[in-house]
Amino acid sequence: MRTWLRRNLFRTWWDALLTIVFSGVALWAMWSVFRFVVFTGRWEIIDVNLTLLLVGRFPKDSLWLLYGVVTATAFWGAAVLGGGEVAGALAPSRAERLMLAVRRFGLLVAVGFVLVALAGVQESIWFVVAIVAALALGRQVKKWRRKITALRQLPAVIWHGVLALAPVVMMVLTIRSADMRLWGGFLINFYLAFLSILLCFPLGILLALGRRSSLPMVRLVCAIYIEAVRGAPLFVLLLLSGVALNFFLPPQIDPGPVFRSVTVFTLFTAAYLAEIVRGGLQSIPKGQTEAGRALGLPTLKIIFLVTLPQALRNVIPAQIGQFISLFKDTTLAGAALSIVEMLKISQAITKQDAFLGRGYIYEVLAFAGLLFWVGSFVMSKESQRVEKKLGVGQR
Amino acid sequence: MSEHVNADATQMSGGRTASEAIVVMEGVHKKYKKFSALKGVDLKVAKQEVVVIIGPSGSGKSTLIRCINRLEEHDEGRIIVDGIELTLDIRNIEEVRKETGMVFQNFNLFPHLTVLSNVAIGPRQVRKMSKAKSEELARELLTRVKIPEQAVKFPAQLSGGQQQRVAIARALAMKPKVMLFDEPTSALDPEMINEVLDVIKELAKDGMTMIVVTHEMGFAREVADRVVFMSDGEIVEVGTPSELFDHPKDPRTQKFLSQIL
Amino acid sequence: MLQFFILLSVASVLYWLWNNYRLNVAQSKIPTNFQFLDNPSSFSLPGNALDQSAPVRRAFVQGLLNTLRVSIAGILLALLIGTLVGIGRLSKNFAVRTVSGTYVEILRNLPLLLLLTFMNLAVVLKLFPRIESAWVPLELFVISNRGIAIPWFVGSGTTLLIILGCCIAAMILVSSCCKVYSNRTGKKVRTILISGAVFIVVMVAGWSLFGFNLTLPVVNERGSLGGIRIDPSYFALLVSLVLYTSSHVAEIVRGSILAVPKGQGEAADAIALEPIKKMQLVILPQAFRVAMPALGNQSLNLIKNSSLGAAISYFELTQIAQITVGNGSPAVPAFTLTLIVYLAISLMSSLIINIVNRRLALVER
Repeated sequence: MRTWLRRNLFRTWWDALLTIVFSGVALWAMWSVFRFVVFTGRWEIIDVNLTLLLVGRFPKDSLWLLYGVVTATAFWGAAVLGGGEVAGALAPSRAERLMLAVRRFGLLVAVGFVLVALAGVQESIWFVVAIVAALALGRQVKKWRRKITALRQLPAVIWHGVLALAPVVMMVLTIRSADMRLWGGFLINFYLAFLSILLCFPLGILLALGRRSSLPMVRLVCAIYIEAVRGAPLFVLLLLSGVALNFFLPPQIDPGPVFRSVTVFTLFTAAYLAEIVRGGLQSIPKGQTEAGRALGLPTLKIIFLVTLPQALRNVIPAQIGQFISLFKDTTLAGAALSIVEMLKISQAITKQDAFLGRGYIYEVLAFAGLLFWVGSFVMSKESQRVEKKLGVGQR
Repeated sequence: MSEHVNADATQMSGGRTASEAIVVMEGVHKKYKKFSALKGVDLKVAKQEVVVIIGPSGSGKSTLIRCINRLEEHDEGRIIVDGIELTLDIRNIEEVRKETGMVFQNFNLFPHLTVLSNVAIGPRQVRKMSKAKSEELARELLTRVKIPEQAVKFPAQLSGGQQQRVAIARALAMKPKVMLFDEPTSALDPEMINEVLDVIKELAKDGMTMIVVTHEMGFAREVADRVVFMSDGEIVEVGTPSELFDHPKDPRTQKFLSQIL
Repeated sequence: MLQFFILLSVASVLYWLWNNYRLNVAQSKIPTNFQFLDNPSSFSLPGNALDQSAPVRRAFVQGLLNTLRVSIAGILLALLIGTLVGIGRLSKNFAVRTVSGTYVEILRNLPLLLLLTFMNLAVVLKLFPRIESAWVPLELFVISNRGIAIPWFVGSGTTLLIILGCCIAAMILVSSCCKVYSNRTGKKVRTILISGAVFIVVMVAGWSLFGFNLTLPVVNERGSLGGIRIDPSYFALLVSLVLYTSSHVAEIVRGSILAVPKGQGEAADAIALEPIKKMQLVILPQAFRVAMPALGNQSLNLIKNSSLGAAISYFELTQIAQITVGNGSPAVPAFTLTLIVYLAISLMSSLIINIVNRRLALVER
């Protein structure tokens, strides 16, 4: 212990000085945060407005649909994801696996507990039970796929299609149930990000392929689009979509703010994704295309079966990074358009009669910051895991 | 378990007298987490002695010499170089590094500096020589390793053998008392190995104390005063080249030599 | 064949959009050219010589200047702080390493708008006191929710630039003398200290020579008198941009230092280079070559992120565009102009970064 102290904190007198200064600052900061969270923070404002913050004015009697979506996704995740089981001597012990799971999901679970504690209603307890049950069921289904011959022989497409039906059906029901103008809060941040990610994928890949096309006109058009979008600030594009989109559509169509922001996010992220995918394609050695040609495959098949899958796999970390940025940038939609996403609601609730003018801004921003931070942090940690697992980025 | 071998400088070739030890290692242990890289190594190297260390990969040869200039920190035991003991004190470490020169397997030349600057940077920054004097010294050394005309080029423009010779010049520029070589020719194409070995042989002839880790047995036979065979983090056998190569005593030494020679 | 089809579909989509645009514009009778730039702006910007009758184009120019003001200061500070934090993250000292790591991990994962809202609402508007009870640290500054007032000079701006030029020239002269001396004798010369001292001496001499006066800000009922006041929204925007971007810069710097092969550090250790020299002469030159493209990217991001100033009413380019549109300028041309300006800044910066990159590239065979 003493040698560790000497080596890491007090090597020279300059070192010791740095240690004292930095530790002092760190301890003061930790104490202030602790004091704020436990003692001086007035958390009633979050307590009262929790539903508003998380889902906006989503109708209360349809909330079970949202619970359904989360549960169904948990089931699907447990049934589909996760690495292969390692058997035999190398398999980690129960305790080690528990430690790994805690490290990986501990933060999410902790935040979940905080939310449940704040909500404090009976139904949240049921919700937690439902999620745990869904996870367990998902793992079990995964085991059945391996063990029961009839299930194992089903082609992958059918198996995954059926499994994915669960969350997809729930999502479709949810979208159709409530008027989108009532949606708000964290739900809308998620929804905007999720939809934009889904839609920008095909467009981004097409743009990347177009930029490498042999036809000069196609290459030029794609290049112009990508460079123009990458040079423009997202905020200005959102503002533009608020006032100018009407001019480009026939007068009968008046899209709501959600449509406008999803359009902008999709077009914007597609350009960045195109550059990422192009980088991935460039990193594939020429030998791959040559091998494909030697086998007699037509160019399109080579692209979609050989080079593109490898390129996409190689740039997974960069893609996840882009999506994390998108997730954080959904806050801009609240500032530029009239979407009541969580940051905007946070500021709005400080103006409610019960809370006006008493400096509640610290508490609401802390809560909003916590949710965004945990989401972003967990996604980037997962991205690092994927990077390590695929061995990508290591020469 | 084999007997613990104590490698003192008791026999030397070439008629040189045994002088005081310039490098002393006593009971040196080094562990990486659970793996023991060095298990109780004792070694004394005298002035002007040339010690060649051989052994299978993973035997701890590189770790041994990297502990001497503190590129690795030993966990137990004592290492004393030219009277200075290696401890946590950073001033000791810097003093020791000034007296030892190291040549790496992968050359490790600074790619953003010219060849001349690579050699001159040590004397200039550490020995505090003036720019002119350090460059003069650098040119001398480049002539000594027979590539004076490469002075203004960048390392990437040189062949592997030339780069390694620049690395030797860079180490010599600090006027060290001991030169450490970590597999200096292992990364070279076969046709360039000899040009580098010739330079090292000349250094030995000029009386430089050297510890060389290598697989080049012919070189070892020609130049070494003592050959040390290491395996699994221990010194297994020590002897003059003729003793060790022609009459190895330990079965592990015999096995290794039969695979190499 | 396939490409022709793609081109055709893209062209038809574009044509459909353009057609809608024409029809809608004809209907609404809003002009679509750039004539609005000559109209009177009908708003004024505080602290600038812009009144209500000045043409809109002057407002845009002012907005552009404000964007550049916050961007340049932001880039310099973010690069400086980010580099220090990035190096700190690799320190052998546990305390330094942990604090730097926490700084990066917290700031990197927060949305910029959240940081900005926090700085604006929670710090500048709430924390900073009202003018009656303003903070006056060291009797030199006046900090309130109307801004930060710092001591400033009274005198002509051009004379100040001349003095600055002389100071810089003197610094360069003195540091080259120091370098020659140190090369000749090999002795260590504290170049930075000496040229810093020279800078200050020349600056003070110049000031007293030209009769410059230092004014200290003093509180009066409506604000502060004397000195110069840093706009609170400028302060909030600058601090948020710097905090956010510096965390990304720190990660880039850390990654680039780790990308330098381990053997380089070992070779520097083997010739007993002391740690600061090792960083300065061996590691950082190689690390920066690797980091250049990513750092250039971050600088561009900062410039684009400055558009968020519109969310806190800082009068940079985007905010100006919004205000003029609110006051009657046609929306599409105004925002198109804004976009073109941002694009131009982007492309020029990319060009500069590419040139610097090519100059710095390591010489290959």
